[in-house]
Amino acid sequence: MSTLVYMKMLEQTPAKYDRGMRLLTLGRIDRIKREIASIWVEPGNDVLEIGCGTGTLAALMTERGAHVLGIDVSEPMLAVARESAPRAEFRHMTATEIDQLGAERFDRIVATLSFSELSEGELEYVIGASAGILKPGGKLVVADEMPASRWWQRSVARLVRWPLAALTFLLTQNTTHALRRFEERLDRTRYRVLHRERYLLGTLALVVAEKA
Amino acid sequence: MWNFLKDVWHLFGRLFPFPTKPGLRRIGDPDRSSPVLVTCNYELTVRKVIQTLVRDGVDAWLLVAPTKGINVWCAAGGGHFTTDTVVSILKTSGIDNHVDHRRLILPQLSARGVNFWGVKEHTGWKPRFGPADIKDLAAYLRAGKSRTEREHRRVKFVVKDRFVMGTNLGFNTVLLLILPLLISSIWLTGLWWKTLPLLFVLSVASSVGVFWLPGKVGVQKGVSLGVLAAAIFVVLSQTFWQLPPWPLLGWTGWIVVLSAYVGYDMPSWSPLWRQDPKELVLGVKQTQIEIIQEKCINCHLCDIVCPSDVFRHDPEAKKYEVANLDACQACGACIENCPTEAIVSNFRGGTCACPTCAIIDGVGALKRKTQKREVPTVEPVPAAANCDTEACQCALEDREPGIELQTPENENGIRFP
Repeated sequence: MSTLVYMKMLEQTPAKYDRGMRLLTLGRIDRIKREIASIWVEPGNDVLEIGCGTGTLAALMTERGAHVLGIDVSEPMLAVARESAPRAEFRHMTATEIDQLGAERFDRIVATLSFSELSEGELEYVIGASAGILKPGGKLVVADEMPASRWWQRSVARLVRWPLAALTFLLTQNTTHALRRFEERLDRTRYRVLHRERYLLGTLALVVAEKA
Repeated sequence: MWNFLKDVWHLFGRLFPFPTKPGLRRIGDPDRSSPVLVTCNYELTVRKVIQTLVRDGVDAWLLVAPTKGINVWCAAGGGHFTTDTVVSILKTSGIDNHVDHRRLILPQLSARGVNFWGVKEHTGWKPRFGPADIKDLAAYLRAGKSRTEREHRRVKFVVKDRFVMGTNLGFNTVLLLILPLLISSIWLTGLWWKTLPLLFVLSVASSVGVFWLPGKVGVQKGVSLGVLAAAIFVVLSQTFWQLPPWPLLGWTGWIVVLSAYVGYDMPSWSPLWRQDPKELVLGVKQTQIEIIQEKCINCHLCDIVCPSDVFRHDPEAKKYEVANLDACQACGACIENCPTEAIVSNFRGGTCACPTCAIIDGVGALKRKTQKREVPTVEPVPAAANCDTEACQCALEDREPGIELQTPENENGIRFP
């Protein structure tokens, strides 16, 4: 009996993923994506999007006149992305392979809610590799789950964390974890943090860093 | 102490991911020619793999891939242990700097997610699928053959494994039904605390006794267990409690119903049967699988990755054919790895009931390589293709010298780089 229930409940579709993510960030992620496309990306930029998912951000960025290459590891997601952002280019590729794309090739590297799906070793590697493929003065734009900065925010976040994680798993079959010491890692890797903004009690953050 | 607590947890909570740190581990004293192995990052798996390798005196590099804390088989089925995962761990672990060769031994059970040709194309490493059980790895290395022995490829379900899966099944059944039973106890007082232990015992019994019970796997075996349990119950109740006829009849029926329910869910917890509602209720095999003979290039991969020994080699025609459809559990490993798409099937997503792999593509088809990246297609070659001629497309043509294994000098042969 449980089979049928689970199968129906957990059928993984790209549309469901989007809905789940929107719900979990209380709609905030859409606004952050619009902000990235309008403020942090300029017309004519060469942009790499790591973990493009259904291509909502890629579409916004191509509208703004950027050349976008989106990579993801989920073929069904890429199929949706190709439809929603026809002017962007998409490729099935893991984040750890970005160093094969060519040195100093991109003006911007963008990742929303995808770094938190990487393991710690992968994250370390990807940050290093991203610095290699950015042009000098290029920017890394990351919006993701991060630990809050104030102790009381962290306690509240921890309280809602468990039910929220269970909900995320049910909605998207993804277990994300907050990016720990993300800015420290950036500092170690030739990056200078230009801008940071925190949302949802400080648990969701937008970080923009420039390659020094 | 911690390991003991973890083992207790693994007796009940295997449905839940239990991650350990991904990365490179040294087993024993590996050198630049030592074998490179890959496994998942499920805590229990990693611990058992290291224990077994140290016991068998294997010096090796172990790559613990980031599979989100899920075991090899389930992660591979659920899209968490794929070609991409292998690509990722090869790059991030820095194993390139530790060895001179580029030979990679993958767990056989990862084949439903990992594509042999994809790994070869995207990493430059030469993958091969090792034995299904880590216990056979030492023998596999010692033999130096590129192909695992048939017996080592086959997944077994021994009494100990059946017991552990039974306790897990019991725990999860109890977890799932505790709320409905508590609500029902508003009308039927005391039903819940008698039913829950009963469910647990029936779960363990249905799993341990699965080969001994009469009937087809699924509801049929569940009912036979129920009848057996009900008979024992009637004898006991007449001897000790002197139950009046109506409650006696009620409980007898209830035991059979619960047992049928457990019997239906049990195959989910086995490595041998697929959770197909029709198959388990009606007992009629639903899975169809066929090899298109014209497309088969005799590369042996379908046979190598099959955990149920479904395929037979036809030495005359130099082709493979389906010989043992009954054993097929529709895991999709052969379809994933067939380079010419010669295998056709009516599989639908998911082999079991848990959230991990039931979600592959929902009710969509597994016929497409949905989760998987592009892999090179191999053109079908004419019938001349076989392992004795130059035209051989066989992925595993080369033999390696066997590796001499020694017992490690100290017990703590594991070091972290």
